Amino acid sequence: MADTSEILHVGIDLGTSRSAISASNGEKFVVDSFVGWPVDMVARKVLKRNVLIGHDAVSNRTMLDLHRPLERGLLKEGSDKDVEAVRELLRHLLGLVGVSSNGKVDSSNVRAVVGVPAAALRTNKQYLRNTMKGIVDSLMIVSEPFAVAYGLDALLHTLVIDIGAGTSDFVVMKGRYPTEEDQRTLTIAGDSIDTHLLKLIGERFPDANVTIFMVREWKEKNSFVGEHKGRIMVTAPVKGVPTNLDITSEMRSACETLLGPTIETMLDLLSRVEPEFQERVRNNIILSGGGGLIRGLPQALETALKQVGGGKVRFMDDPVFVGSDGGLALALDAPESDWEKLSA
Amino acid sequence: MRVEKMERVRRRLLQEAVADNLDTIRGLPPRALRPRSRIWQSWIRRAPLLLVPLTLVASTYFSAHPRQTIATAAIAPVPIPVSRASLVPTPISSDLARTMFPEPLLQRVDAAAFPLAVKRVILDAGHGGNDPGATALELKEKDITLDIGDRLRALLKSEGFEVVTTRDSDLNIPLRDRAQLANESRGDIFVSIHVNAIVKHTASHGVETYYLGPTNDPSLTRLAAAENSGSGYALADLRKLLDGVYADARRDESHQLARAVQNHLFGRLSSHDAGLENWGVKRAPFLVLVATDMPAVLAEVGCLSNQKEAKMLGKPEYRQKIAEALYHGINAYASANDAPQKKGI
Repeated sequence: MADTSEILHVGIDLGTSRSAISASNGEKFVVDSFVGWPVDMVARKVLKRNVLIGHDAVSNRTMLDLHRPLERGLLKEGSDKDVEAVRELLRHLLGLVGVSSNGKVDSSNVRAVVGVPAAALRTNKQYLRNTMKGIVDSLMIVSEPFAVAYGLDALLHTLVIDIGAGTSDFVVMKGRYPTEEDQRTLTIAGDSIDTHLLKLIGERFPDANVTIFMVREWKEKNSFVGEHKGRIMVTAPVKGVPTNLDITSEMRSACETLLGPTIETMLDLLSRVEPEFQERVRNNIILSGGGGLIRGLPQALETALKQVGGGKVRFMDDPVFVGSDGGLALALDAPESDWEKLSA
Repeated sequence: MRVEKMERVRRRLLQEAVADNLDTIRGLPPRALRPRSRIWQSWIRRAPLLLVPLTLVASTYFSAHPRQTIATAAIAPVPIPVSRASLVPTPISSDLARTMFPEPLLQRVDAAAFPLAVKRVILDAGHGGNDPGATALELKEKDITLDIGDRLRALLKSEGFEVVTTRDSDLNIPLRDRAQLANESRGDIFVSIHVNAIVKHTASHGVETYYLGPTNDPSLTRLAAAENSGSGYALADLRKLLDGVYADARRDESHQLARAVQNHLFGRLSSHDAGLENWGVKRAPFLVLVATDMPAVLAEVGCLSNQKEAKMLGKPEYRQKIAEALYHGINAYASANDAPQKKGI
């Protein structure tokens, strides 16, 4: 067992698109969930590293065997390379907050809480647990929206909607650990918006040379639903010539694919809350995750809530760390005796 | 006060989160699937049965000790009356439907989170051997299902699917062995072929497809009980099986498969038989669907109790049409999943 004087508690939001870590030493980092290995000796010589992670990996992707090891919020199974990529990503995140084999804090002193999609099966969790062996000392895996709710102290009569890249997760907090009936996971999330937007742009500008990475960047800066003032102009090569493209209507259409399923799931979960608490839950809806940055989304959800008596949707100003902060809160609250049972 | 309450809630949530993780480490199924509530329910159901012998013992005791009866009558608890109805054992099938599929299990998990490629199809021709199934006009369900199964196997093989059949001759294979074969063969989907017989409604005929789930319909419970007879399973085995089923994801996939099969069955066969009715996709606790590990459906491809359809089922051409309809249903489901993996590409 680790020496408790050197223990580092961390909360990790292992995301399909971005992964965030919050540590008990006050450090916080977020990285793109990409890992790449140089494709050959030349690339290795140019890059001067054996493995690149996050934004570095994306920027140098042409020289890399690039892996995005999470899919729909879960580890891709069956590929040794993806397992290794996840391990590299976790080591990198822990390294950023001061964990290293020769530093003051090594992996045998780390207690981690990791958030996974609400609908993750036990087999998925077991797989993640196996993958993290040797990287942390003890591990607790919880549903991501539960971590968000715990971190915000929103434990009673609250609906958390966590829209990430791979999944949109919903949980109604009823003062108990959420069961399957309290949670939902949709695979319509940030990635599906990217795919749809890429398709729409390709249909309207067939000669434009646009990649999913460009589309993702445009979405993160300009996503919206409903009305939008002004035009969304982007630059992309058309037959080799940099050209300004107006993608306002495509952006709206792609982002609004999220609306129908999100509203339906939200109303369905609300309808299952005990009648005397429904109004309180309707007025206590929290929108988190990168999808929460879509302009107009809270208002669109509030408009939909009018058909069931109205409600309020609160948006987190700092959606990036809200999940990892919640994980850290859980890690710090768990007593020593529990951590001893949860060795990785 | 409120702070204390929230602190209690936090502590409880944390304890439950730790317990959930310990369950994962130990490989236990999710708590919602555990038999805790069923044990409670079963004790409630058994309570009348325990009261009967207690009442008998008490009455014998009181008659043997009349003085003490007078003395203790004032403080003796009043025996709870037990009606005859409560002593009648509940039929296993309806009992299963009610106790083994509590409502929380019906919450839908998006199956898109678990994409399943279809490469190996398990075909199960219903009945066989000394179990003829439904009969009419010298036709036996066991022969019709075997013939359609053979035709379907050929169609699937020609399109690159691997096919495993639970029986390829006139043998009575217990349902348990059929499911075991399907699981050991690591099939991707399981399709059981049956023919209906609705004696009270011989004028109507239709097609219907089932997937695993509870039903409140007594007629479906009876149908499941009939199809489940001779399963080879004890009730305790079944409870274990159901406890181990990750019902959500598999049921959702089974539902998709059932819809695809039913759409093609009715869509294609109704063009040959204008009177054919679409009886739709339904849930029922057929054992063969419970015990298989993969998405599984049971298709009732016709109705022997209807004289017109019985005649058609006697014709090889019509059985070929049924096999083709089933093939198209399976193929539609497979194509909607992970097409590149379908043929091992």
